Amino acid sequence: MDRLVDISILMLEGTQVTLEIFFVTLLLALPLGLFAALGRLSSWKPLSLLMEFYIWLMRGTPLMLQLLFVYFALPMVGIRLPDIGAALLAFTLNYAAYFAEIFRAGIQSIPKGQYEAAETLGLTYAQTMRRIIMPQVFRIVLPPVSNETINLVKDTSLIYILAMNDLLRVARTIVQREFDMTPFVIAAVFYLVMTFVLTWGFKELEAYYGKYDR
Amino acid sequence: MANTTAEQARGAKIMLELRDIHKSYGGTEVLKGIDLTLKRGEVLAIIGPSGSGKSTMLRCLNFLEKIDRGSISIKGETLAFTDESGEVHYATGSDRRRLLSSMGMVFQQFNLFPHMTVMENLLEAPLTVKGRKREEVLPEAEALLDKVGLLEKRDAYPGKLSGGQQQRVAIARALAMKPDIMLFDEPTSALDPELTGEVLRTMRELAAERMTMVVVTHEMAFAREAASRVIFMAGGVIVESGDPQEFFAHPQEERTRAFLKNML
Repeated sequence: MDRLVDISILMLEGTQVTLEIFFVTLLLALPLGLFAALGRLSSWKPLSLLMEFYIWLMRGTPLMLQLLFVYFALPMVGIRLPDIGAALLAFTLNYAAYFAEIFRAGIQSIPKGQYEAAETLGLTYAQTMRRIIMPQVFRIVLPPVSNETINLVKDTSLIYILAMNDLLRVARTIVQREFDMTPFVIAAVFYLVMTFVLTWGFKELEAYYGKYDR
Repeated sequence: MANTTAEQARGAKIMLELRDIHKSYGGTEVLKGIDLTLKRGEVLAIIGPSGSGKSTMLRCLNFLEKIDRGSISIKGETLAFTDESGEVHYATGSDRRRLLSSMGMVFQQFNLFPHMTVMENLLEAPLTVKGRKREEVLPEAEALLDKVGLLEKRDAYPGKLSGGQQQRVAIARALAMKPDIMLFDEPTSALDPELTGEVLRTMRELAAERMTMVVVTHEMAFAREAASRVIFMAGGVIVESGDPQEFFAHPQEERTRAFLKNML
């Protein structure tokens, strides 16, 4: 029993790294994804094409490859980031691309009549987006954003290859040292707890924003 | 009659003036030169078959569609004009917003904001656009909801209302901006037949209050009884225009007669 507690304490430290990557990525990737979506929908062709290329690049290559690229290839051209910075850069760029596509679909699903009603009432484009369109978009994109967010919890385990002591790496280190599989089970429980909390949180959010549903 | 004379005496103000409006989509010309003048207090009903350009014309009035040629002026101020080279120029920035805000628009599909309550729908534009104070707008909004008979629904979301109720809220929302002209784009066409009555009643009340109105409609009874003038559009032109009684009793043009025969 004592051993179980000791292992768990070690793994809580790993969880800290995991959560740090998770929260910072989410905090950066959500707004970046929104701007990328707006850029993608822009009537200014160069911007729209650039965003399309960015999204294609990020979604079309493995996240693992992107991590390795930022970690090993960038220093070769003189861009040296701290370990955690490299991981955050790769995660943020990758997840922003996925969020961008979710936001784009959400924005495009709002009927044209909403823009027209806002325009005839005298709202500017910025006011229309902020007050009328985005609140409706948030409601629509919550389920797919929830999906991606849960994926992100699990994808953070990829930083394992960058030799950072996240939850998974701590578990594996103990397993290799003591020839005991228990840490893997504990790691699984830790991940499950995190995704459970997220699932619950998003359900609450959906209920709150869904209050106007028919 | 006394009313008309009084208006003539003070030279009844021209609210809306369209000259030679042309509009094409792709290669198809939808409006082929529309001329129209609307005076204060007039209720203009626009009827015609679908594809006749009547909704497009209405949408050109408030900038939802851009004209290809012609001129539009609102209360004597220019919204759009065509220069000698044939290029259309619109008023810009705050000038344009001010002109457009003198017109309220009611859509076929209501277009209420679904994430806001009925009351929030009414308050949105006065607060956000005009920057007025909430406590100042609130009693006005309550009075408007009372007028359309929906004060008890103030905290309901649009999705919980019937189509007729939603459209009455949409009318109240447009009125909350205190427009001088109200535009209606087939306001009852998306409604179940038994719900059109309540919306038309609200519109008749507005007409009785001498609101200047342009109503694109398929409701012949409304056109005949509530309008002060009817125009019949077909193929992108105004075919016939006149006093409602006269128009429905003795249509002059063959196309008008054929259309009315199908409608009545």
